[in-house]
Amino acid sequence: MAKVRPKKHPPTIDMTAMTDVAFLLLTFFIMTATFKSQEAAEIDTPSSISSIKVPDSDIMMISIGNKGEVFFGVDAQPDRVAMLENIATSKGLTFTDAQKKKFSNQASFGFPLAQLKGWLDLAGPEMGTVKQPGIPTDSTGVSELADWVYAARQANPKLRIAIKGDNSAKFPTFKNVLANLQSQNINRFNLITDAEEPPAGWKVD
Amino acid sequence: MAEIVESGGGKGKGDGKVRAKKLSTRVDMTPMVDLGFLLITFFMLATTLSKPTSMTLNVPDKQEDKKEQETEPLKASKVLTVFLGRNDDVYLLDGIAADDDKAKDQLKKVRFGSELRSEVFKAQTRVNSQFEKDEEGNLPFVVVIKPTEVSTYKNVVDILDEMAITKTKRYAMVDFLTDTEKALLGDKVTPRPEDEN
Repeated sequence: MAKVRPKKHPPTIDMTAMTDVAFLLLTFFIMTATFKSQEAAEIDTPSSISSIKVPDSDIMMISIGNKGEVFFGVDAQPDRVAMLENIATSKGLTFTDAQKKKFSNQASFGFPLAQLKGWLDLAGPEMGTVKQPGIPTDSTGVSELADWVYAARQANPKLRIAIKGDNSAKFPTFKNVLANLQSQNINRFNLITDAEEPPAGWKVD
Repeated sequence: MAEIVESGGGKGKGDGKVRAKKLSTRVDMTPMVDLGFLLITFFMLATTLSKPTSMTLNVPDKQEDKKEQETEPLKASKVLTVFLGRNDDVYLLDGIAADDDKAKDQLKKVRFGSELRSEVFKAQTRVNSQFEKDEEGNLPFVVVIKPTEVSTYKNVVDILDEMAITKTKRYAMVDFLTDTEKALLGDKVTPRPEDEN
């Protein structure tokens, strides 16, 4: 009589359950993902108890870096190209199609108009590494921010303005930005902040 | 690890029959799981989960062709003046004008946070109990915020936030200092060489 031997199995783990969970999580993250966009500078915003969310679309973002540089950006790519074309006609400049294409890929930029072309002629990876001096905003001297805002609003009149300032940006820079906007008769803006818990017992009224 | 194919299906039994190899119906899921977790890791790191919030700021119209609305000058006793100085210091003048003789002694230095909040609440209670509401039903308490050139953007946002917390409805941001205020605050608000960094 043949011996009944237990059949040899290599040790196995059933991975089906783990796969299920993994793909469930993957689906969740893919669907909720909003990607961090490439910013011209790292900006550490102050926090506030305000609970209004920043709108997703039709935003023009003015960022103030910690050294007082001012960056400007529009969210939609077609608007970026239209904005560049508007400012080119008003300032008597011309941009090639390649430059426009590169410009439309930049979430924000901080160059005076005179230096913008030189930056757009750089190779793609180099553009990110160049130190950006910021858009001139001096209310008494040269100021180009108001022109950019005007060009952007021509491109898309629905754009709302968000200001994102760094914690350590000095007040005069912020004042200059406000002066630029007020000269365009824009008196309502959103200041972007991090969320913070209101003090205990505090209620919105 | 999960096995793939069992080898040697029909051998070794010695009965000589050639049987079809039994193929395992199991699928090795390890590479799939690997890939799944890799993608999860990527998406988790690339996603911004906490959406930033925003504060709305309305500033008065600066166009010059508009007619100035005639308003009564503010009484100093209804006003708390907040000066934002260097290193997150706040200087307060409660119910007193800067050109008053006693202003120098009354000028109070506080820090952001609970210290400032209790001062704002104190001034608010004092003014609102002392004065009537105006014709439009507004509370009489007014805060004048004066950021100076040594203050930062964070200070401005913090003080605006403080206004929201203390529910002060009437506040104004004034970005210049009068000569008496400059004399009062002195070197507390003028830039020093070490500020340039």
